[in-house]
Parts: sequence; structure tokens; C-alpha cells
Amino acid sequence: MKDLQDLAQRLLVDGTVAVVIGYERGPRGARPAFVQRPEDVERLIFDAECVQNLATYLSPRRRHLLKLGRKAVVAKPCDVRAIAGLVREKQVKRDEVVVIGVRCPGVGEDRCVTCTAREPRLADHLVGAAVAAPAAGESQRDAKLRELEAMTPAERWNFWQAELSRCVRCHACREICPMCQCDRCVASKTQPQWIESSPHARGNLSWQLTRVLHQAGRCVDCGECERACPEGIPLGLLLRKVAEVVDRRFDFRPSDDPELPTPIGAYRLDDPQEFIL
Amino acid sequence: MTAHHLSRKELASWVADLRGRGLRVVGPVEEPSRGGAAAYREVSSADELALGGGLPARSLKEQFLPPTEVLFGFRRSRDGVELIDTPPRALATVLLGVRPCDAAAPELLDRVMGWDYRDEPWFARREATTVVALACPGVDESCFCTAVGLGPDDSRGADLVLTPVKGGYHVDVVTPKGEALVAASSARFAAPKHAEAAAEFHRAAREKVERNVPRVGEGMAAWLAGNFEHEVFSRLALRCHGCGACAAVCPTCHCFDIVDEPEGLFGGVRRRNWDTCQTAVFTLHGSGHNPRPEQNSRFRQRVMHKFSIFPRRFGETLCTGCGRCARACPGGVDLPEIVRDLEELVG
Repeated sequence: MKDLQDLAQRLLVDGTVAVVIGYERGPRGARPAFVQRPEDVERLIFDAECVQNLATYLSPRRRHLLKLGRKAVVAKPCDVRAIAGLVREKQVKRDEVVVIGVRCPGVGEDRCVTCTAREPRLADHLVGAAVAAPAAGESQRDAKLRELEAMTPAERWNFWQAELSRCVRCHACREICPMCQCDRCVASKTQPQWIESSPHARGNLSWQLTRVLHQAGRCVDCGECERACPEGIPLGLLLRKVAEVVDRRFDFRPSDDPELPTPIGAYRLDDPQEFIL
Repeated sequence: MTAHHLSRKELASWVADLRGRGLRVVGPVEEPSRGGAAAYREVSSADELALGGGLPARSLKEQFLPPTEVLFGFRRSRDGVELIDTPPRALATVLLGVRPCDAAAPELLDRVMGWDYRDEPWFARREATTVVALACPGVDESCFCTAVGLGPDDSRGADLVLTPVKGGYHVDVVTPKGEALVAASSARFAAPKHAEAAAEFHRAAREKVERNVPRVGEGMAAWLAGNFEHEVFSRLALRCHGCGACAAVCPTCHCFDIVDEPEGLFGGVRRRNWDTCQTAVFTLHGSGHNPRPEQNSRFRQRVMHKFSIFPRRFGETLCTGCGRCARACPGGVDLPEIVRDLEELVG
């Protein structure tokens, strides 16, 4: 903690950055913090409660944050994949953001169970004590995915109809997503209206499936959409499924290398094309 | 105010009575797909009710303002456009086990729903509904009903208030509508047995919630109106994602959008859907201009509407202190904390 606070203070005092985006203790546990004054660095914490992906605050869509000036951001090994994604998609210039990588003990999410990365690679600074890699556990989400795959199409349809029936189209999933950075989302367009805005079965299905397909090869599996959903819809299942397909067909996994070409952004002669009629 | 005792066994029979009389009974039900969190749902027996649980994840407002509803249909014909009347579904309903912060909300919203235009579907459902509230023990540190002039035992918006006591519930009758509901099943209700225990339950709950946030003072509405450009508003929304989860779970956020959707080749329906002031498109003009161009101004709007605009127009704070927004916020924005901070600025 001390090394994080000292680093933040140095970056603010010498003017390298105008704001350090990190974590603080809020009324309901760890939450995002925006530290702009060196005397406030004591607010900064990092522990196993720090679940939020702060890379989402780097998106240029957040105009009120652009105004703050140059940023440093505290990032876990999984969060840096989103920073890499934003750099890869030319939303953020790599040298415009100072990445404070934190060694991560896991933050109690399902994705942590199968994660072996304890040290972010895409980082300008690295803080925190070394953490031993835990024994790999069993992902409940993957188990649920296998369960769904074993269902008949009708059973699967019923499962998703029930889950999506709770969607009220608040779009929290989109707004919190670090990779949802379109200025004007297709779901907000009205002329023509591609996706019905009403929270009925038709509108909800077309919204969630469109979002998931737009995330193919882009989703960094940070789990924020599912965490943000006020209705507890297991959106991660859909995204995980698409990620598995992308991995199998294109040998691509969410990466912390901003130079790695993505399936959608690169052309390869040996791309599998068996699904193109 | 008359009072009664309702044993747990008689509560089950009462629910059966109500259903036998053709009334829908809606109350908190724990949903496995939500990880066990409750939602207000129609029940077929008292066994399904989770009366001892916490605050349901979704507020009561959908009972009166559904997330989506058809206002009317339209069909193109040779003679022009034909409108198809779609009367609101307003079935006679008893809302049972409603937390006081939820029960108070629709009554606040009656002000705006009946202000410059009488909202027919809203009032049709309001009139068809009887509200049986359940006194709350106080949920957690995000509760602040006492700060906005309500309380965990408040009878506002309720026709009856139940308070858990030994063996069942102490029942306070609040309105003639509540009295009629009791009279129709009078055999189920006994003379009050535990009035003192109920009063003690109320006192303990109030004491617990009052510790969280001090009472919002008279000066708040005017201070906010006079400090529209205060620098505090550029700090409060930094961590806000503009996701609108707060509005979705809020019992008093009532903004809606109106859309026309095709149904088949020659017709369609006009619907109204929940909306939220936290997204950019909410105020985006056709010209491309947006009077609330960034999240700071959108977040300020949410605070202003609840604690200044509505109070100055209707004399009431548009917040029941349920704390759902703080619990649902993925960015850690905490309205109880903000109310506390603003109160300090107001002085």
C-alpha cells in the first residue's frame, strides 16, 4: 500500500499526471477513487476487494474525465487487457496514460479461479508484494456453460428467455464496459431503429445478442457487465461462449499486448472460412 | 388507529381468502436466478412470501409503472389510420409485505402523475391496489429513510402496516381501504396482543437507521437551486459510469420514453418504457446539441430533481431513502454519503 501511495504522490508532485485513478475505501467497500492532490494519496488502497476495472475510465467517451488531464491508472493483470484493447483500437495512446500495475491476489470473482496471472505485464510501474499463484480451481461459470451446452435448443432458449425477461434496458452493461466505446451505440439509434428499445422479449434478446457479437474478439473478460447488472443476469456466460468460439476458430484470446492483431482487425490467408457459404 | 393481531397461520389463511375473492396477491419472493434476492411477484400462497428477508432488489414501482407497457395500438387501413384502444391492465391487487420506503414512493409520484395530466394507467392501477406494508428492521448502512422524513415503520402510502411480533404480526390500520380489507376477513384478525413489542421494534429500527444520515434540512432545496454551478458537482460524478442502474432500481425515478413499434405489416403499438436521465441520449436534441453534455451535468440532474426541483414544485423530497441506488451502483456512488456531504455544505 505504501509503495502505491508513494508512487502516486511522486507522479502528482512532479506533474507527470494530473490524476491518479485508483481504489479507496467507500461506505460499501472498495470503490474507484480519483486522487488529484498529493495530500490525498493516503486514500489509495489495494486489496482483494478491488474488483472494479478502472481501465473503463480511460475511454474517450467519458468527457468529464478527459478534462481532468493526464491520468495514471491502477490496473490488475486482467484490467491491463482492457488498456491494451483501448490502445489497439486507437482510443487511447499508450504514452498518454501511466499504468500502475498491481500484483493481484485475486479479487474473489469467478474468473480469478482460473486466472494464473499475478503480475500485469503492460505496466509503467509495478507495486505490491509478490503473490504466489494459487492452485487452479474450478470455474462455476465454465461449469454452467457446459451445462447449457448439454441442453436441447428448446431448454437453452427457455433458460435465456427467463434470464433476459428481467432486463430493463438500463444499459448498465454497456456503460460500464471498457470496450463499449462507441459515441453513439447502435441500440440508441432511431433512424432506422435497429434494435427495439422496449424491455420485452424481442428487444432484450436483440440488444444482448448484438452487444455480445460486437464484443467477439474484443471482450477482455473483466466481468464488469455482469457485476453492474442490477437484475443479476449472467451476461458473462454469453461473452465467455463467444470468447471460446473466437479462441477455437482464430486462436485469439484477450491479450495484454496492444500490438497483437485481433481477428476482426486483421486479414489472414489462413483464416478458417468454412462457415462462409 | 385500530390495531389487530394476525398470527402466522391466519396470515396464510388470509392470503387464501384474498385470492379466493379474486384478488391478486403480490409480495416479496426470493428468486433463485437472482442468487436468492427478492422481487415483488404474484404469489399463489403465503408459503412463497419472503417476509423475513431484506429489501427486494427491484422496487415496487413496476407494479404501477411497468418497465414497458402498450398505451394503444394503430393500424393502417384504406381509410387512414385506425387507433386501437388498449385499456391498462389494472387488476384488483393486494401488495403484501411492502417495505415502507417502497410503500411511500407511489404516493409521492401521484403528485406528478396527476399534475398537468392525469396519467390513466398509473391511477387505474393505484386505485385497484391495496398496500399492506411490513415494518422494516433497517437493512444496512445505506438505509436513510429517516433522513428524508420517513421511517422504517412509516405508514405513508400504506393501508395497513404489519409489524413482526411473537407468533405473527401486529397490524395497524391506516386507511378506510385497509379497514375494509380487514373487515372482509375479520375472523382472521384477533385483538392486538403485542402492541408494546411492535412499538419497541419500531423504536429500535428508527434508532438504527437514524445513525446513518442526518435529517435533510429545510434549506437543501433552496441551496441546491442557488448553487447549480457549485464545484461539488464536478467531484460527485467522477466515478459515475452513467449506467442508469440507480434509476432502474429507484422506487421514485419515473421518467419514461415513448416509442412506436411495428407489429406485423400494417400496424404497430405505442409503448412507454422506463428511461433514465443518466444517459447522454436522454437530453440529446435533434440538432445534435445536448444541454447535459457530460456525466457531471447528468448526475447533478438526478440530485437536483430529487432534492430541489420536485420539492420546490410539490413540497416533497423525491427520495424515500431506500438506499438501493448505493447498493446497485457498480462505481461506488453513494447517495447517503452525498446527502450527508451536501447537508454539511448547506450548513
